[in-house]
Amino acid sequence: MENSAVRVEGLTVSYGPFVAVDDISFTVRNGEIYGLLGPNGAGKTSTIKVLVGVLDPRSGKVEIFNTPITDEAAAKSQIGYVPEEVVLLDSLTPREFFEFVASIRKLEPSVVNPRLERFSSAFELKQYFDTPIAALSMGNKQKVAIVAALMHEPKLLVLDEPLVGLDARSSKILKELITFHAKKGGAVIFSTHIMEVAEKLCTKVGIINKGKIVREGTVDELRRLVKSAEGSLEDIFLKVTEQEAGMQDVIRALEEE
Amino acid sequence: MKFSEAWRLSGKVYKEVTFQSIFSLRAGSGLPQRGKMDIKQLVNSARTSTLISKLITTVFIGVFGSTVFLPLTVASVSPRELTIMGSVSAFLAVVLFLIAFMGLQVSTSFVSSKAIDVLNPLPLSKRDISNIVFLCFIRIFDLPLTAAVGVFLVVYFLVGGSVLGGLISIVAIVATEIFALTLTINSAKFFYSRVRGGGGKSAWQTFLRFVFTFFWILPTFIAYLLISFSGEVVQAFASLTQNFVSILQFLVLIYPFSFGFLVSYATYLRVVDYSILGLSVASTILYLAVAYYCLRWVTRTVRNLGAGAIVKVSKELVKDTIIRPQIPWLGIIRKDLRVASRAPSYASLFLLPAMQTVILAISFSSITDVGLSAALGILTGISMITLLLPPTLLSIEGLASAYTRSLPMKKRTLISAKTLLSTVTYVISLVVLSIVAVYAGRDFSFVLTFGTIHTFAIAAAVMLELTILTDKFWKEGFAVGNIYSRLSTYVLIFIPGFAVVLVPMIVAVVTFFLAKQLYLTAFLATALAEFTLMTAVVVREK
Repeated sequence: MENSAVRVEGLTVSYGPFVAVDDISFTVRNGEIYGLLGPNGAGKTSTIKVLVGVLDPRSGKVEIFNTPITDEAAAKSQIGYVPEEVVLLDSLTPREFFEFVASIRKLEPSVVNPRLERFSSAFELKQYFDTPIAALSMGNKQKVAIVAALMHEPKLLVLDEPLVGLDARSSKILKELITFHAKKGGAVIFSTHIMEVAEKLCTKVGIINKGKIVREGTVDELRRLVKSAEGSLEDIFLKVTEQEAGMQDVIRALEEE
Repeated sequence: MKFSEAWRLSGKVYKEVTFQSIFSLRAGSGLPQRGKMDIKQLVNSARTSTLISKLITTVFIGVFGSTVFLPLTVASVSPRELTIMGSVSAFLAVVLFLIAFMGLQVSTSFVSSKAIDVLNPLPLSKRDISNIVFLCFIRIFDLPLTAAVGVFLVVYFLVGGSVLGGLISIVAIVATEIFALTLTINSAKFFYSRVRGGGGKSAWQTFLRFVFTFFWILPTFIAYLLISFSGEVVQAFASLTQNFVSILQFLVLIYPFSFGFLVSYATYLRVVDYSILGLSVASTILYLAVAYYCLRWVTRTVRNLGAGAIVKVSKELVKDTIIRPQIPWLGIIRKDLRVASRAPSYASLFLLPAMQTVILAISFSSITDVGLSAALGILTGISMITLLLPPTLLSIEGLASAYTRSLPMKKRTLISAKTLLSTVTYVISLVVLSIVAVYAGRDFSFVLTFGTIHTFAIAAAVMLELTILTDKFWKEGFAVGNIYSRLSTYVLIFIPGFAVVLVPMIVAVVTFFLAKQLYLTAFLATALAEFTLMTAVVVREK
């Protein structure tokens, strides 16, 4: 497949005896925003960590723009990654952190500095440039991670819960950036628990449950699949992850108490 | 809350602290495996590793503690009163150094583990939480603190100590331990204020942070100097004070000699001079008062440290967002230096080779003929300390590895950067030695020639250490932990590295006896062969 940005085949991730991701396959094409949805512990973050080369799979094949992830440096240089838990080099300032990331990514000052100026202004990060990351709020740390992921203009963005902790303004800007990135022909893999966001943003959705992709397609395709033409993505999600059945009883029981 | 309950709860928090310090989870490392059984194994291995490290520190205290009393085992040594004063003083310096140095490593992970976070949401009063955090801190040092008293008493009574002397010694050691904890907490506090509040983008500010850090950890190095020259110090006291009572009057005013003199007096109950005894008692009381004040300060500060209360955020006026990226290996070096400049635990190890060199230089200046054996001896000393650097440098990668491992960083770039940094530290040590040699008017050609050639072996040894470490920890996410909590692992890495350093020396010595004219060539050939081999191995790393 020539225009595939990410190709995952038979991916299995395990931690000792516990299988977190169980033989999943999916493809993300250029220009696509692929939403990876699933309940807590479904295997979303493990899948994402394999895609960005942070975690080794037990088996399976992952290719980033036709480059196997085993060719780590080549594959990673095409990815911009925002992790779920933003733990950066806390003793450094954002400026020092960006300098380190830019050095590893071999970015020219003439190219990276205008981008940095643009992104820092957009996310209102400029004022914190020389403040140690440890002293920043969760939201500002998240912004540092986002800017670091964007500064080399990667072809693939992998964002694990990127909106957590962001204020409304930054959240809106990031969503616009994601859409713009896809329109330009880039690819995005996006994990979130906020169904409204996924519904508006994602061109394709993969629902992962207990380590397996249980449904995949556009939101409309999923509606047809679950025969619920009116339902929101949240309803579809609850149905396919088999969480809908006993939920009303649980809510009723909680209300009774 | 009852003490027993607080102690029990502090055990739970301590378990979390050891786990965090080994796997650096809150610093961004990932667990190597997961699953119920594996987690249990990891928790156990973290506890075992911490225990082994405590035991190693305890052994150090035991060995150094026994060494300083060696002059007393010689029957002819005289006067015994002054010798025992020197021994006790040197022992106290050893305890001060070891506990403060260990504390430098451990207090950082104590703070970063955010022990208090676990307790804050529970229905406990602030006072209870403070007590639990303090007890947890004490648990980190329990074995070494107890061992210092135990080892001293055993050795002291073996060399003929008295009951009164033993009791005074216990007080002296406890005071010393309080001083050590004060030093270490001060450093941790400094580190935290630097990290949380201190920015600064220029190289000059990075340099200044190193200088600040140096001054904070200077007292431990002074103690380190005392350890290195403990034998000489003890003998020097004996000969110096024998003739000059005025020096003794001055010396008893200074810690740890005031304690040393009092123990000496309590051991033999022979009064040399009443004024000196009076001065010793007075200064001891003064130091005990200081120790009491320090204890109160330590308990208060540890409680605040645990609560993360030491935060001084200062915003700087930001003029631009310009960054200056370097080539990857230089970027790694710059990042390492910046991290180290804000962390005493890292900075102290960078400064250790320089301190070791100063010590060797002092020894060296007293050697008139610097031949092959003296040169190799000096180089072995510097090499040993240099080889401690690579694991420390790699442990920096454990910080935020869950993020940094997503960067296109090659293993060989990482190894090259850290090899260069370690080797440069070694070369700086050689330069310091050369300056001392020129100043002392010694023929330095042997050390300089051998040292220059030995640089290749040092680089090879560093590459070997780093290759083993990256192979082991690359996929685990560099959860190397701090030196203190992973001491056992570091020792295992150190052995092959040290072997690589020794091989050219052994070859040179053997060749010296077989074909004298070829020993330098053999030394060079072996060092170069090691360097070439390890370079080939590193180049293949992806």
